[in-house]
Amino acid sequence: MQKFRKVIQFIFLAPLFIVPILNLLEIYFMKGTYISLDVGGLSISDPVSVLQALFLSHHVAPIMLVSVAVPALIVIFFGRVWCSWACPYYLMLDGFEALRKKLKLKSLKKPYKKDIHIKANISRLGILILGLIFVGIIGVPLLYLISPPSIMSSQSVLLIKYAYVTAEFILLPILIIIEFFFGYRIWCRYVCPTGTCLSLMQTKFSMHVEYSGKCSNCNQCIRVCPMMLDPKTESLSSACNNCGECISACPDNKKEKTLYFKSH
Amino acid sequence: MSIFDNIKNALNSFPVKSTYKINRMRPPGSVDDDLFMKLCIRCARCVEACPYRVLRRSSATKNAEIGTPYIYADVAGCQLCMKCTSVCPTGAIDSSTVEMQQVSIGVARINEDTCMNHLYAKVESGELEPTGNMALCNSCLNTCPLKDDAIYLKDGIIPTITEKCTGCGLCVERCPIKPIKAIYIIPKNMPDAETAGYYNYLKRIGKQ
Repeated sequence: MQKFRKVIQFIFLAPLFIVPILNLLEIYFMKGTYISLDVGGLSISDPVSVLQALFLSHHVAPIMLVSVAVPALIVIFFGRVWCSWACPYYLMLDGFEALRKKLKLKSLKKPYKKDIHIKANISRLGILILGLIFVGIIGVPLLYLISPPSIMSSQSVLLIKYAYVTAEFILLPILIIIEFFFGYRIWCRYVCPTGTCLSLMQTKFSMHVEYSGKCSNCNQCIRVCPMMLDPKTESLSSACNNCGECISACPDNKKEKTLYFKSH
Repeated sequence: MSIFDNIKNALNSFPVKSTYKINRMRPPGSVDDDLFMKLCIRCARCVEACPYRVLRRSSATKNAEIGTPYIYADVAGCQLCMKCTSVCPTGAIDSSTVEMQQVSIGVARINEDTCMNHLYAKVESGELEPTGNMALCNSCLNTCPLKDDAIYLKDGIIPTITEKCTGCGLCVERCPIKPIKAIYIIPKNMPDAETAGYYNYLKRIGKQ
């Protein structure tokens, strides 16, 4: 399953390069960035951006609601899969982890602690709320400035099509240095507003990791969890992004279903 | 008291709104700039859709206009192809704008002191001595997509801009006067049309 996830992640990385190249060839089948992507007639937008525009302008365009519906439905049915299965930034962090392993550097991941995911959730939610208040006061939808996939895709368009970048690009090298040398998935766990907004739409009826209740307690799942959760008891936490690492890592799964995806 | 006045002015001119500069236009069909700044989510779709590479993404951090699309008329004017109007996901660019006659992103103005045609007319009427700067250049007239509607030659010499001017900026791009072009665009949907634009520039260099 993890191979399958990697394939999907790379498929979602491809638009970063395909969209501007198609653009250079004057093909407009696929257009936009990860703030708002348009494939054929299907429009998909980052809910945070659209909600900001909606609340600030008091102006509803039908296309805004339609483009938020797709990510909302995906979250309602499958949970926060955007983050782990599609987000190019998450793929980059996966790559960093593998690279550190290859360079034989020590993993930055700290040992599991019980309340760490609650702290992370509070921090993420707090940043989203403070950000929205800030945006409301200045009256300009600026939260995209702290959304790495948006910046990555918009800057790649500018780089490939126009050969320049704009000022928000500065965030990427800073984040790369922080994530590679100083912390373990800091952005995804403590900051990302898009991920928080998506996880707000997730319910206990969405797809999530389920534990059968009996296992050999090897704690392999806790060791591999990128969000530092205990998948057996905390899979309903909004920090879980359904990456399925715990399910692939579980040795008991070979004998009988111990950890598995469940959707009501 | 002056500190209080400063604070009052700062708060009353809040929230931050985009700066107003000559030759900086929003994409054709944009809504009023107050609303535009609220609606634009910086997705860069219009920048992508522009086949002439005229729309550019702003890098200016001043007044939070970072990431918004701009036409820099002194680099390149808008060709009014209307590709960008249909792609906006939030309606910051009105998708009902399909004809170039509907567009009004600004109004062109001619600087009568440097325009070669104006100098020619002045020489002809005896106001000025003949110099090397006078000519019937007509660049702005010849490049205008709405030639004879938006711009015409008064008395066969003086280029005159009418209300039909869309503000595309092609005339600015083609104007041969350097370094400051003799024709400039006052962007229409930006706030503070009275106090800004070309007049602001004159104030800054101390001529007014």
